[in-house]
Amino acid sequence: MAALPAQGPQPPSILISRHLAELEGLATGDDVQLATDERGGNARMFRVAGIYEPTPDPMRLGVAPRAVRMHLTDLLALTRDPATPAGTEHVEGINVALLDPDGARAFANDVNARIPGVFARRTTGAAGSASTFVVLERFHLAIAAVTIVAATVFLLALTIMLVDERRATVGVLRLIGLPARRILVQVLIEGLLIAGAGALFGLLLALASEGLINAFFQWRYDTALIFVRVTPTVAATCLAIAVPLGAVATVAASWALLRRSGLRLARR
Amino acid sequence: MSPPLDAARPSMNSGRPEPVVGRGALSASRRALALAWRSLVRQPARAALGILGVAAVGALLFDMLLLSHGLVTSMRDLLDRMGSDIRVTSTEQVQDRGPDIADAAAAAASIATLPSVRSVLTIRTEDADLLRGGGPPTRASFLGIGGGPGRPWTVVRGADVAGEHELVINEYAAQVLGAEPGASVTVRAYCSQGAGAPPPLVFRVAGIAEFPFDVPDRSAAGATATSVAEVCGAPDASAADFLMVTSNGDPAGAAADIARLHPELRAFTNEQAIGQLQQRGFTYFQQISSVLTIITVSFALLLITVLLTVSVNQRLGEVAALRALGFSQGRVVLDVLCESALIVGIGGALSLPLGALLAVWLDRILKGMPGIPASLHFFVFEPQALWIHAALLAATAFMAAIYPMRIVARLPIAATLRDEVIG
Repeated sequence: MAALPAQGPQPPSILISRHLAELEGLATGDDVQLATDERGGNARMFRVAGIYEPTPDPMRLGVAPRAVRMHLTDLLALTRDPATPAGTEHVEGINVALLDPDGARAFANDVNARIPGVFARRTTGAAGSASTFVVLERFHLAIAAVTIVAATVFLLALTIMLVDERRATVGVLRLIGLPARRILVQVLIEGLLIAGAGALFGLLLALASEGLINAFFQWRYDTALIFVRVTPTVAATCLAIAVPLGAVATVAASWALLRRSGLRLARR
Repeated sequence: MSPPLDAARPSMNSGRPEPVVGRGALSASRRALALAWRSLVRQPARAALGILGVAAVGALLFDMLLLSHGLVTSMRDLLDRMGSDIRVTSTEQVQDRGPDIADAAAAAASIATLPSVRSVLTIRTEDADLLRGGGPPTRASFLGIGGGPGRPWTVVRGADVAGEHELVINEYAAQVLGAEPGASVTVRAYCSQGAGAPPPLVFRVAGIAEFPFDVPDRSAAGATATSVAEVCGAPDASAADFLMVTSNGDPAGAAADIARLHPELRAFTNEQAIGQLQQRGFTYFQQISSVLTIITVSFALLLITVLLTVSVNQRLGEVAALRALGFSQGRVVLDVLCESALIVGIGGALSLPLGALLAVWLDRILKGMPGIPASLHFFVFEPQALWIHAALLAATAFMAAIYPMRIVARLPIAATLRDEVIG
């Protein structure tokens, strides 16, 4: 690619990616020569009509997309072998918009039956359930599950220690006549409050760090990709897991203690 | 016989200190470990939960260390297993499917004459439908190999491709088609170059083979470059996607020779190809591994600190009593450190088998991504990962113990005992 001052008849227009514009110092209105080989063979003049931000691709992190978009006719004219008659060139794919999108499956089957050498398929679900992002989501969920297990174990250990610390208090409460169920309800409410406060704090921490994480990785990879997004669904899921888990851990840790008699608990 | 309370004190016989400082320190550490162990087993539920928590976190940490270089190691292994050590392409990017090498056969022949080169293969990959009888077709990657005698696949049943209109297929294709060596298969190709709709050709299955980049549930077939060109409707068999070159032991020198001979082509050694892949495609997993390693270690640090601190706070009276009985400040501090080391040490040891099992599960999940070869792994064990894991857990054990150690070091003995008695 070579940039040239704009002059003469107007060449065909192209769009270039922001990364390419920055790398080559190009701006809208510049004329550039594009060639199909590095020696500049069969070069043709184009005018930069605009600079676009490429759709971020998580699988190509760290790669500055040096991309050009042009009309298909211009691309074919640029890349056509001299021996290939115009109109017989090869393209990799044809996107078809149907008047009735529900007929996509039947249309694809029809094309496959009528035109040998062409493979038609619906765009919806073309990647199948095993697409990259579905798999990555599963992976993240698996990591989250392991983290939850580890956190639950630690939480149980902590609550056991905290409940143990209050053994005498619980013993006195039992001795003055409070039934075990009443104390258990109190412990449950306390657990819910602590778990709720903890979960809210965690969410606030996630919201606060969301911008920082995105800013860092967007800078690191020079991409517009959003890496972390705390959606209402994610927040609700976190609360739905954390609060009951915290409360159950508190009750489970207290259960063994409450089964003992008040005298044993209050004994020093 | 019990060891002396102070192993470094002067000998009663000579009046000079005995050279037993190292042994004494070891003995003191052993006694501290024994006391820490007794502290742990006195509260079995608490200790077990702490250890299990460390095991779970340690397993995740271990897996993140395996993930950090797993893909690179696995890809290097795959490339090495292909038998070549240089890949020649038409573009700067080894990962992308760039333009074909137009006159690959001639390029391969000239490269093969270099003294630093042992053999050259031309590789062309096209998509094709394989059909047998009236059954449904299976879409396959169809490899056309030209040049030297080697093949990038390993025949597991039957024979290798010996001539035209013969092919080898992978196990999946054999199952889908119900084809064994000797069977006939119709091939309908979809080629980037050649006729728009080439007529299908009948091939004989010479054997069943394993392809290095076999993708699960995806058919693959291999034949000669001439056969592939023919099934593409283009009699010219000289085009190839890339060349696989085997050097005479100096890949870098051979790559330089190739670059001098063919400046229009790009020659990458396996290490250079891995380097490029590392910079591009594998970054995501390295980043997620780094982030999760930091989070996991921080999580473990925080929670062990809390566990130890609460535990120490509950035992302040006991610690003060030990101090009053003559235990030195250093000794009670060492007890806390040993307790931390025991929790993290036992949990860390448990985390290794747990992490290995978890890695198998996570690897299976990630290999569900489309286009991932069956023999490529995301989690690959390297001894280095084990050392880093141990070092990180040791650092965590020490750092987690700092605050509780400070509490017991500064504990006012008399005031604490009085509070315990009054309380």
